[in-house]
Amino acid sequence: MIHLNSRGIPRAVTLLATAALAVAACGGGASPSPSATAAPAETPGPTEAPSAELGGTVTVIGTWGGSEQESFLAMVKPFEDQTGIDVQYTGTRDLNAVLTTGVASGILPDLAGLPGPGQMAEYATAGALKPLDEVLDVATYKAETGAGLVDLGTVDGKIAGVFIKAAVKGLIWYNPKIYTGGQPASWDDLESKGAAAAAAIGGDARPWCTGIESGAASGWAGTDWIEDFVLRAAGPDVYDKWVAGEQKWTSPEIRSAFESFGKVVSESYGGSKNVNATNFGDAGNPLFANPPGCVFLHQASFITDFFQKQGGAKPGDYDFYPFPDINPAYTGAVEGAGDLFGMFNDTPQARALIKYLVTADAQAIWVGRGGALSANKNVTNYPDDVSKRSAEILANAKVFRFDASDLMPAAMNEAFWAGIVAYVQDSSKLDSILADLDTTQSSAYGG
Amino acid sequence: MTPFDRPIERTSGRRGRPSRKVVLNLIVIAIMVLWLVPTFGLLFNSFRPAVDVSGSGWWTSLVPPWNFNLDNYRHVLSQNDIGEAFVNSLFITIPSTIIPVAVAAFAAYAFSWMSFRGRDLLFVVIVGLLVIPLQTTFIPLLRLLGPQGIELLGPGVGSFVAIWFAHAGYGLPFAIYLLRNYMGGLPREVFESAAIDGASHVTAFFRLAVPMSVPAIASLAIFQFLFVWNDLLVALIFIGATNAPNLPLTVAVANLSNSLGGEWQFLMAAAFLSMILPLAVFFALQRYFVRGITGGAVKG
Repeated sequence: MIHLNSRGIPRAVTLLATAALAVAACGGGASPSPSATAAPAETPGPTEAPSAELGGTVTVIGTWGGSEQESFLAMVKPFEDQTGIDVQYTGTRDLNAVLTTGVASGILPDLAGLPGPGQMAEYATAGALKPLDEVLDVATYKAETGAGLVDLGTVDGKIAGVFIKAAVKGLIWYNPKIYTGGQPASWDDLESKGAAAAAAIGGDARPWCTGIESGAASGWAGTDWIEDFVLRAAGPDVYDKWVAGEQKWTSPEIRSAFESFGKVVSESYGGSKNVNATNFGDAGNPLFANPPGCVFLHQASFITDFFQKQGGAKPGDYDFYPFPDINPAYTGAVEGAGDLFGMFNDTPQARALIKYLVTADAQAIWVGRGGALSANKNVTNYPDDVSKRSAEILANAKVFRFDASDLMPAAMNEAFWAGIVAYVQDSSKLDSILADLDTTQSSAYGG
Repeated sequence: MTPFDRPIERTSGRRGRPSRKVVLNLIVIAIMVLWLVPTFGLLFNSFRPAVDVSGSGWWTSLVPPWNFNLDNYRHVLSQNDIGEAFVNSLFITIPSTIIPVAVAAFAAYAFSWMSFRGRDLLFVVIVGLLVIPLQTTFIPLLRLLGPQGIELLGPGVGSFVAIWFAHAGYGLPFAIYLLRNYMGGLPREVFESAAIDGASHVTAFFRLAVPMSVPAIASLAIFQFLFVWNDLLVALIFIGATNAPNLPLTVAVANLSNSLGGEWQFLMAAAFLSMILPLAVFFALQRYFVRGITGGAVKG
């Protein structure tokens, strides 16, 4: 009996064991980089010649995937060729998890995209992020980069993060084949022109296309609306106090921003249910449908990518106006966003790469491939008129403000998203939603 | 409960059997169809252009004019890191399956057929480990395996070894629990007669316990293989920060879409491509489920 079934099995076990060993051995042989980065330059000495052949590797992590990743790799290609440094890039949307565990355990990439200015300040004060003042040519960097962006990357007077790419938020997109009413002079003008154009189309058409679904981050597209209303109706001072947690959500300024957004939702294609159920990336598709479903879409400059890839639109099918003024006292205010980058390990390779990334030469590569605005003012090679004009808005902004929700503490930001979703679902609950946000505000800012 | 069983048995014995079987089959088929609908949706959509997918439901693609193409698959396969990531996935998954299954088999035998002090307590502790979410272990484990500890993590091959350990550790509580329950249920007479014949524990383990537990070991291997193959988070945390060339397929696939969630159309094609190997493993090991050998063991 003992002999019956046993013969094959030990052989199978041995086979598996051999396979494991073989795999282990292959694993050993297959790694192409035998501790190339293991020279972690304990001496951050004056390695000020990035053009020389440095060699080695630099590890980079960021949120960019798909075509963004291709653009980033294209951007660092000349750097790799010139310096012999191998850029090892990991893209993930779980950046937060990797960096949080990394900061706690010391396993960090040399350079990393940062989730937002809030986390950047945390990492910088904890000493994980290395200051860049000695690494960069500060005078040139400040001269070439918008003042708002430089300040956002500064913690306690030291540069902790730099912007590699930027976006303008709050643009009013339209299809020039449908809307021919010209640039609206004010918010009221925009509303009446939108209503007139929608009535001219007839059927189910509405002035607005709105979609705020975005997985776990659903609602953020609505927060951009609120931010635009606060910035342009109540002004940058209220906006800053609001970001800092000193402006109550129940205050009349924030409340009226929500009400203005509520009016937009009620005038949106498909009604409030559709607004909550539509992904922000698909929201603009009715602009290009036949018959069109709406006249305007409010979204950031990066939406053109979605227009082309998911909406089936071609360049020329879409164009934009800047968000019109609401209160003339705050004219020229612009809201933007961007991708922050910081240095965790001070190696010569990391220094060389971050110096390269802030230059106009480097950022022009990504800009030329489309889908991005440069944080560097000297970049001008925008591939089309739409991105050129959005870059001008960014460069010429009289008042520049970063996306407010991204500046708020994470708990406040998430409550804001959820509040938007709840408000779109049932606008009659505004009082309790704002009161809840006030409660979150009193705890989220850590006293 | 028992009065419930009897009449059913009787009717099925006499006249109800064929019709009951038909009903049963219909229910099973209905559940299967329900279960597979999302997968079919994904499959059809993976052959459609993104503009169509965001414009209309997948079922509309079933009626002519058909607008299917292989562009999404072509794009995924043309990514130059995909092949490397596939090989990395194998490097990670195969040892991460074999190690815990082998260790768990030894442990399960010991817990079932060897008596030593504190056996039950130790087993309870191991089963208790099942409730610990693996996310809470990341930071201590990274400290242990990283530069502050034994320096396995970092550039080079060390991260592969580190992640084998990590996956083995995460898999072991469940593996031991499953195999111990199975081995503990094997007939005692077999082991007693083996002991009388002079078989040591080693002989009893390799000649009796393992061959008789093949169905359990095979199902465990499938579970563990799928868990590791589909894992994104552990790989990302242990390898992602410092060792991009060693990243597995899941990370490469997730990275096909961009930071705003666009370009998702490639994910559907990639999902089906990354499914091929787990399916092959499942079908290869499936026959072991069917071939339970315990039944005849004592009689032999």
